[in-house]
Amino acid sequence: MLPGNCKIAIVGSGPAGLSAAARAAELGVSHVLLEAESWLSNTIYRYQKGKHVMAEPDVLPLRSPLEFGAGKREAVLGAWDAGTTNLKVNVQHRSRVASISGQKGAFTLKLDNGAELAAEVVVMAIGLQGNLRKLGCPGEDLDWVQYQLDDPDEYQGETIVIVGAGDAAIENAIALADHNKVYILNRRDEFDRAKPGNLSGISKAIEDGKLTCLFNTKPVAAENAPAGKRLRVATNDGETELAVDRIIARLGATPPRAFVESTGVTFPNKDPNSVPAVSPQYESNVPGLYIIGALAGFPLIKQAMNQGYEVVEFIEGRAVEPADAPLLREKFSILSDVKNIDEALETMRRRVPILGQLTPLQLREFMIDSDIRAPHDGEIIFELNDYSDTFFSVVSGTVVIEADPNDPSKKFTLGKGDFFGEMSLISGRRRSATVKAGEKCVLIESPRRSMNKLINSVAAVKRIIDEVFLRRIIQGRIAPTLPPEELADLVSSAEVRQFRAGETLFSEGDAGDALHLIRKGSVTISREIGGKDIVLAYVPAGQYVGEMALVSDLPRSATARAAVATETIRLDGGAFKALMMRRTQVRDRVQEVYRTRVAQNVVSQSKPMGDILEFMMSQGLGEATDVLLIDEALCVRCDQCEKACADTHGNVSRLKREAGPTFDKLHVPTSCRHCEHPHCMKDCPPDAIKRAPNGEVHITDACIGCGNCERNCPYGVIQMGVQSKEKPSLWRWMMFGGEEPGRYHPKKDKNAAKKAAKCDMCKDLDGGPACVRACPTGAAMRASPEQFVKMYRGGH
Amino acid sequence: MATTPHASFLRYERYRYLKFASLLCLLSIVAYWWHEPQDGPNGGTWLGYTLGTIGALLIVWLAWLGVRKRRYSSTLGTVKGWLSAHVYLGLALLTIATLHTGFQFGWNIHTVAFVLMAIVVLSGIFGIAAYARLPTLITENMGDADRETLIDEILDLNQQSLKIADLLGPEVHRIISRSTERIRIGGGLRDQLFRPLPQGRGLLDELRRVLADKQRAAAAEAYDPDSSSTVIFMAGEMAQARKSGDAAEKARQLMELISRRNALITRVNRDIQLHAQMQIWLYFHVPLSIALLAALVAHIVSVFLYW
Repeated sequence: MLPGNCKIAIVGSGPAGLSAAARAAELGVSHVLLEAESWLSNTIYRYQKGKHVMAEPDVLPLRSPLEFGAGKREAVLGAWDAGTTNLKVNVQHRSRVASISGQKGAFTLKLDNGAELAAEVVVMAIGLQGNLRKLGCPGEDLDWVQYQLDDPDEYQGETIVIVGAGDAAIENAIALADHNKVYILNRRDEFDRAKPGNLSGISKAIEDGKLTCLFNTKPVAAENAPAGKRLRVATNDGETELAVDRIIARLGATPPRAFVESTGVTFPNKDPNSVPAVSPQYESNVPGLYIIGALAGFPLIKQAMNQGYEVVEFIEGRAVEPADAPLLREKFSILSDVKNIDEALETMRRRVPILGQLTPLQLREFMIDSDIRAPHDGEIIFELNDYSDTFFSVVSGTVVIEADPNDPSKKFTLGKGDFFGEMSLISGRRRSATVKAGEKCVLIESPRRSMNKLINSVAAVKRIIDEVFLRRIIQGRIAPTLPPEELADLVSSAEVRQFRAGETLFSEGDAGDALHLIRKGSVTISREIGGKDIVLAYVPAGQYVGEMALVSDLPRSATARAAVATETIRLDGGAFKALMMRRTQVRDRVQEVYRTRVAQNVVSQSKPMGDILEFMMSQGLGEATDVLLIDEALCVRCDQCEKACADTHGNVSRLKREAGPTFDKLHVPTSCRHCEHPHCMKDCPPDAIKRAPNGEVHITDACIGCGNCERNCPYGVIQMGVQSKEKPSLWRWMMFGGEEPGRYHPKKDKNAAKKAAKCDMCKDLDGGPACVRACPTGAAMRASPEQFVKMYRGGH
Repeated sequence: MATTPHASFLRYERYRYLKFASLLCLLSIVAYWWHEPQDGPNGGTWLGYTLGTIGALLIVWLAWLGVRKRRYSSTLGTVKGWLSAHVYLGLALLTIATLHTGFQFGWNIHTVAFVLMAIVVLSGIFGIAAYARLPTLITENMGDADRETLIDEILDLNQQSLKIADLLGPEVHRIISRSTERIRIGGGLRDQLFRPLPQGRGLLDELRRVLADKQRAAAAEAYDPDSSSTVIFMAGEMAQARKSGDAAEKARQLMELISRRNALITRVNRDIQLHAQMQIWLYFHVPLSIALLAALVAHIVSVFLYW
């Protein structure tokens, strides 16, 4: 059934692979499309029924023989199925590739079922989802052994064995236990991989006898015995048999990396997010082996489909202008002397050292995400205390950095090839200086996500940025006026330390051997008073801790703990003391900080707020920039805050007043904390989550409704909802009743796309957050951690 | 309790509107005292008209709070500022309107308007008191939990107790299932306001009695004197003892679950009661305000008609 030979073997029938195969079929090039499943595009096939699929980025034209536009899952898949049939694409289903060997012109692909085929070139388009782990015993492919559960209500009155101990297994088991007899098979003796909520859920379900858990048990074989379906299992006490109707194995997926590496393709580093580097023609380091789609770092459907088309053109020896060329041309249009984009890109690479580390394809994508700016002389690029988090590289001309607005002498100039903005990028905090453009300045402004992607995938970029960050923060915080040579010892003694939330940097009574500059996260300072740990202070990123012991030579007077995941720069005490001996200005500066901190500690001990501070830290204050707080002694539970939020934000409230914890009478409702390093931003395919200059973390219209942010937020403040523009009339409601403003729930439109909704701090409204402005009693308030601590200390 | 940095609407901008309202009252009183019209103070003098106009404008403005607080995108002050002004100026209205009457009351539309105004202001005063006292009580009662979670927990405890009751025989099961069917949360307006529904002490007593009976019966069976000599019985007795010990343990668990459940029901009902008490005054304040507006129009029209 398999043709022995073909020119192009395409592995994986996702958007990228499918589009490549379709183009090959259209051109009449001999090809085969290998797909492990019995259907096309498994990832999208697995989307929930009726899910709305988005077609971001809008500006990018589609270039593929197959159709694609935003719409329902069924419509998208239907169009691809039809296109594949019409073009007579040679698809081989149930063909999982086990290995790829050989070289350009003579690759051998071995399939799981033992078959082999030869191809001149291979296009790998397997995405990042990986393969679902199977049962690993005979019978794993029986039709009553499944690896997915779409709708638990489909099954009633069955005996079902769930295999696995992760969150998916637990959630399935609990959901099925309502109407079925459920066993859950756990290889080990506890559920230690599960989320706390699921762990308590499963423990309770077992205790209540809702389902039975078999610990230390492994499946041995699933078989159709004469008496019915049976699963043999091995326990510590020997083998036994279970009569079952269905087995659902939820064992996670194997990341594709090991497979990809087995073909000879290399990854730039060990970071699990990193993807292999490819040439502008999508060729990997193995000649003749091409990589497209999510595995090449392009997670969006349209990009992937375009690459499928382009890769076949390249293989056929035709040069195609990439689909992004018009976009790049537009970016460069600001520079009048640029004629040829490839040349211009090459110039940028030469001029800016950190871009020199990128592959041409990475550079293209980086430039599409970035903006080229040519500010006029003296124009402000960003100001001190802005909340922006973009990164700037200087292509030509100069910029002037003003560290202190009150002291014009504290400024320095950066020129061609330098970069700035790395402080906010790393610490997630406000800008630490004002930057103005110098003469004939040309800059590349890159968004945070593109930078993080680069840092993760190109080791050299990370190293360069880290070094510069280190030097600048030491200079800025400790010795602004010292020449860099003076600091060389100190800089070379520095190392980056990482601490988990709650981990100790140093303890009270320890000898003071180092100073910690907080680079990311925040730290609490506590002291044991009356046998109890009392939190005295909160120190955010950008500040340092541990100087007291160095200045006074006494043991540590307090304990420093990471409030959230924190990174510090540890400066060696010896090198630091030597510098203080040499340079009185450093000593004076540190002593000044020391004196204010001693004074501060005296105040905090007389006005302890330890418990409340600790509670707030547990609620994420340590990484927050702005929190909504409700004083329950003033709150009359009128829900004006929620109504105001819904009314001003498309009838979807972004806060839940009643939910969330309370300490004493301070209530933290479920509402966005606008984290320094927003968890929601981590994995947003269209990069729709942004930080506004005043710190608001908000979601733009580019949202594709994938729900990643909702899952990534540890505070549960993002909801998926259908937003609507219409608002009920206040007067009509007052006169005749009906829909009340703020409580309006428009009729559900089944076709409407759900998008992520979160607090944007009403950045587009005059007057500030609607929730606070609508609170009649003064119970609702928004505060930054610094304001919060200050207000608590200082009364009102 | 530590004070939070929040500032109540009553203290808005260092009592700005309290000061303003006091000044307004003071000026009115001084004017009233100083002004000596020929036929005694009344609404028809120039001062009477002035006070009347101020009062009428105040009433319309005070009622406008209902509109402003629902205009969520409005930037005309904050709702907190509005409420602060509403409270203090509303209290001032009582003085101004009283001075406007010149203490002339009778069985007419004018006095109706005045009485309505007085009731509205008094219900508002009740509201201030409710807002000052009840929120803290709600927090003390509910702690960290919210009502929905507690109700979920109650339903869960019901399930658990039914399961245990099942093991203790049909009679116990009947008692428990009857009690779960009878759970009442909330209730009518009167129940909500005044009487958090009690959860039967009777139930626990009945349960205790039935379980004690069962245990006695089991013990009597165990000490059957006829067969006490046989070795086989000894084994049986031990098993029986273990069984009845097991049942006693189950019974104890059941009692505990039911007490816990009842405590939760009391808490939820108390929460409902406090919420009801915090809102009930609005059911007078708002409709009477609308009646007041109507009476005010009638008062003004009739004054000008019979001028």
